[in-house]
Amino acid sequence: MAAVPKIIVVGGGLAGLSSVIKIAEAGGKVDLFSIVPVKRSHSVCAQGGINAAKNLKGEGDDVFKHFDDTIYGGDFLANQTPVKNMTAQGPAIIDLLDRMGVPFNRTPEGLLDFRRFGGTLYHRTAFAGATTGQQLLYALDEQVRRFESEGKVQKYEGWEFLSAVLDEAGVCRGICAMDLRTMEVKTFHADAIIICTGGNGAIFGKSTNSVVCTGSAASALYQQGAYYSNGEFIQVHPTAIPGEDKLRLMSESARGEGGRVWVPRKKGDPRPAKTISEADRFYFLEEWYPKYGNLVPRDIATRAIHRIVYQEDLGIDGQPMVYLDVSHIDRETLEKKIEGILEIYEKFVGDDPHEVPMKIFPGVHYTMGGLWVDFNQMTNIPGVFAAGESDYSIHGANRLGANSLLSCIYGGFVAGPQAMLYAKNLPAQKGDGGAAKEEVRQREFNNILLQNEGTENPFKLWRELGDTMTRHATIIRYNAGLREADEKIVDLLARYRNINLSDKSAWANTSFAFARQLYNMLQLARVIVQGAEKRDESRGAHYKPDFTERNDEKFLKTTMGSYDPIADAPVITYEEVDTQWITPRPRRYDASA
Amino acid sequence: MASVAAPAPPSNQHPIKGVQPLRAGEGNSFVLRRLHSLTGIVPIGAFLVEHIISNIEIVHGPLAYAQQVKFLNGLPLVRVLEWAFIFIPLAFHALYGVYIAIKGRPNVNVYPWAGNWMYLSQRVTGILALAYIIQHLYFQRFTGVSLPEHPGLAYWKVQYELSNPLMVAVYVIGMVVTCWHFAYGVWLFAAKWGITPGDRARKKFGWVCGVFGTVLCAAGLWSIIAIVNAPAVPFEDVMPAQQPGVMAPTVPVQNESQQQPPLTQQQ
Amino acid sequence: MAETKVAPKTIRVEVKRQATPETAAFVEKFEFPYRSGMNITSLLGEIAMAPVTTEGKQTTAVTYDSNCLEEICGSCAMLITGKARMACSALVDKLMAETKDGVISLAPLTKFPVVRDLAVDRSVLFENLKKVQAWVPIDGSYDLGPGPRQFPQIQEERYPLSNCISCTICMEVCPQFNEATGFVGAATIAQAKLFNMDPAGAVLKEERLRALAGDGGIQECGFAQNCVQACPKQLPLTEAISDMGRDVFVQQVKDFFAR
Repeated sequence: MAAVPKIIVVGGGLAGLSSVIKIAEAGGKVDLFSIVPVKRSHSVCAQGGINAAKNLKGEGDDVFKHFDDTIYGGDFLANQTPVKNMTAQGPAIIDLLDRMGVPFNRTPEGLLDFRRFGGTLYHRTAFAGATTGQQLLYALDEQVRRFESEGKVQKYEGWEFLSAVLDEAGVCRGICAMDLRTMEVKTFHADAIIICTGGNGAIFGKSTNSVVCTGSAASALYQQGAYYSNGEFIQVHPTAIPGEDKLRLMSESARGEGGRVWVPRKKGDPRPAKTISEADRFYFLEEWYPKYGNLVPRDIATRAIHRIVYQEDLGIDGQPMVYLDVSHIDRETLEKKIEGILEIYEKFVGDDPHEVPMKIFPGVHYTMGGLWVDFNQMTNIPGVFAAGESDYSIHGANRLGANSLLSCIYGGFVAGPQAMLYAKNLPAQKGDGGAAKEEVRQREFNNILLQNEGTENPFKLWRELGDTMTRHATIIRYNAGLREADEKIVDLLARYRNINLSDKSAWANTSFAFARQLYNMLQLARVIVQGAEKRDESRGAHYKPDFTERNDEKFLKTTMGSYDPIADAPVITYEEVDTQWITPRPRRYDASA
Repeated sequence: MASVAAPAPPSNQHPIKGVQPLRAGEGNSFVLRRLHSLTGIVPIGAFLVEHIISNIEIVHGPLAYAQQVKFLNGLPLVRVLEWAFIFIPLAFHALYGVYIAIKGRPNVNVYPWAGNWMYLSQRVTGILALAYIIQHLYFQRFTGVSLPEHPGLAYWKVQYELSNPLMVAVYVIGMVVTCWHFAYGVWLFAAKWGITPGDRARKKFGWVCGVFGTVLCAAGLWSIIAIVNAPAVPFEDVMPAQQPGVMAPTVPVQNESQQQPPLTQQQ
Repeated sequence: MAETKVAPKTIRVEVKRQATPETAAFVEKFEFPYRSGMNITSLLGEIAMAPVTTEGKQTTAVTYDSNCLEEICGSCAMLITGKARMACSALVDKLMAETKDGVISLAPLTKFPVVRDLAVDRSVLFENLKKVQAWVPIDGSYDLGPGPRQFPQIQEERYPLSNCISCTICMEVCPQFNEATGFVGAATIAQAKLFNMDPAGAVLKEERLRALAGDGGIQECGFAQNCVQACPKQLPLTEAISDMGRDVFVQQVKDFFAR
């Protein structure tokens, strides 16, 4: 083994950058691959904060309570040991970020300020204004830039991961990647690789995720033999602003301050909202849940809106949207309490929410599932590690607010040193370790794609995929619908073979790069719908009206999706969940339902 | 392929095209730029103020003006002062200023914002002021009657120059652009040297500079108007060089004495 | 509101395109059925789904940088109706009202090398951030306890600067940022201030100030103040330049006499 291990990190969000920092600090050589300049990674979008039981508010908070809240919030599906480790490291991670210069909000005494977040009773969330994710990402980006200027890190920004290079024994020996400018395909040697490529919101068409969050890298590895676990667990945020290009979060504080959710009683009522009389408005949350009204818990609100749109067909203008109305609240109250979020709405929608009701809809927000990893963040492919949203650990069936940033950094901090350890003990590769073969495989795929003379536009296929997935595999799931979705995806995969790229050039060809991602999205979508179809229970974000209860006996298990290359289909199996620290108990936050 | 390809240099390692990164700690443009900024205030700006104040003596007639010119030319080491504190700084400020101006890419057509207009105006007024000053120095300082030697002819020389309406226009424009350039230059100086970092401080100081520039310009225009409107004086030295032992008149000559033969005839 | 006005039938777009950095640029026109509530990135998505020009010519999807689509990643800066702004937060309805003929023009930023179509290479900013060492040089990422205490006032001054999304609009609109000056631009100066204000980051303060006195440094600022007008995140850029201008000068004087 070479004296200096060479590690490749794919993805430059919080998880990727934190693993890079650990490796560079330990004297390893790191190549960092990212589609976008790492400072533009999706981690910037996180707003709320980062959890750690620092107990600076005299509430008696401790890391075990944080551990318990996380496991409970995740409906006991997460393996408990890594969650326990993560929550234990939380305070130290916050301290480190603080030392890196993150402009966390402060108390008058100059200490870190903490706020309360969903799913806990404690002030446990450190925050930097309303842009915590951005601030944390920048802090890590700056550290990595420092290592880069010292020659310890080599960045490959504008490169896309295509696949792992696996030797004859199935051990990872590097990656195959594509330069998104020259469209050149190349292999890069590494003793270990760490996949930190985030979630897969793009599979659902529009989501709150960024453009690069396609799940393509995770899917490629799944197709190379990695397990993809708990794919069916997708967090949907109840109030997002539907946009033509994406969904943007609308904070729940709008409802907290008296916002009312409604739709016109008449299907497809063409009148402007303000002219619809009270009698013609259907305040469905208030009618269905008189006790809690608009402040029903998240999942209930999400499901109610879904039902209004897809079962009752009462969406505004026939579109999947309902009104969130704060226009009846006086301007002064709005300006004092929720001006910031109303400004976001006005900026992106162009309507003034003081005057016109906002149009909102639940939006796919977070991928709890991901690449299966052991407690050292290694996948079942030797030498392939994963961290952050792209792995399945930590969040179980549902993620608590402000836990994602912590899980990313924790995952990176484990994966980095573990990859180093692994690499130091790795026997030398034979020959090229399978690099040439992998490069040929990828080039062939590219050639077929570029030369195809079919009729299908990849962006249109993607829209159909998104529509299907959003309809059948998000908030409310029926087995019939999930089966229909799977058939639709199989059909889309068949149509994919009839693709025709409008752009066949070999320079900065975004349609081409997207078409490659689309194939991987289609493959991964099947893991999601099949996992959901087979899980006949309701747990966390996964809800089936036909199976409304959690079924620990049958389904307190990790879903293991593996790819069968012969059948070109996923195989779903199950693995026991580590519950050695906290005995599963029913998860109930309220008595309303 | 026998072995794994050697990693290609990543795309961001290619030499950057377009605008180059900061040459951290290299070169001396900082000193030159700051010197440029400073020379605009001291000594050039200070001289401009002095010059405009001196010109107000025009209002008091040829002799008063002549005395002012004589006083200035009587300062010790005046030629050294003139070169060290006026001509050389002015030449540096002007040449480096033109160099700065030609490197800028004004874009008020796209971004018609107040500060952007002022940016452009500072470059335009600078170049106009330079053109004005060159002709002013050429005609008033280095050609024609030498005023350091004959301060008594100062009034005549200026009035004669301004008997041409075109030159009046040149002087008025010159006065306005120079004062504009100076007043905004003071504002820029304060902003760039960190004297007025806040928005509010800059806004307030903007008023100060505006008023200052307006007053200065008004004073300058006042002397131009005064000399243009005053009755034309003949070409005669109101204050001829003194013979040794001859005292200059200590009180202005009376009205009727103006009709007396000019003193020059005594030479 | 859109409902009360007579909605236009179509959205017309003119996109300045360029296949490679070396080839000549040309303009392609597109027309789409009008829908309300669109932004520029969704318009570019429409083109990708049906890449046919107004003349009926089959063309390619437009290449452009984008990622978060919520004005926080800084990717999608471009010239929209001639002005530099973020495509994700540029709303079609507003733009159509802004232009005389209702045609929306899209073009790449002018101060950066074009990669293709609307995508440009803005790596100079990241290089500049290296030059001013825009980081806190921590001892290590292991647990060394809490950071230095910081009064809320410092956080309140640092936070807005830390909101810089590296979109480079401040550089694009700056008349001084060009190849002749090699000006570093407002964004980098603001980041230098951000780290000079951090209690631990201040250890590199003098080095940052010396870096900013190099050619292309803070002195090239002409105070046109376009940066602060155009910044989509409202960073106090001119204030940062002013503050840093003073600090750089003081450092230069100190260095001069200590030499």
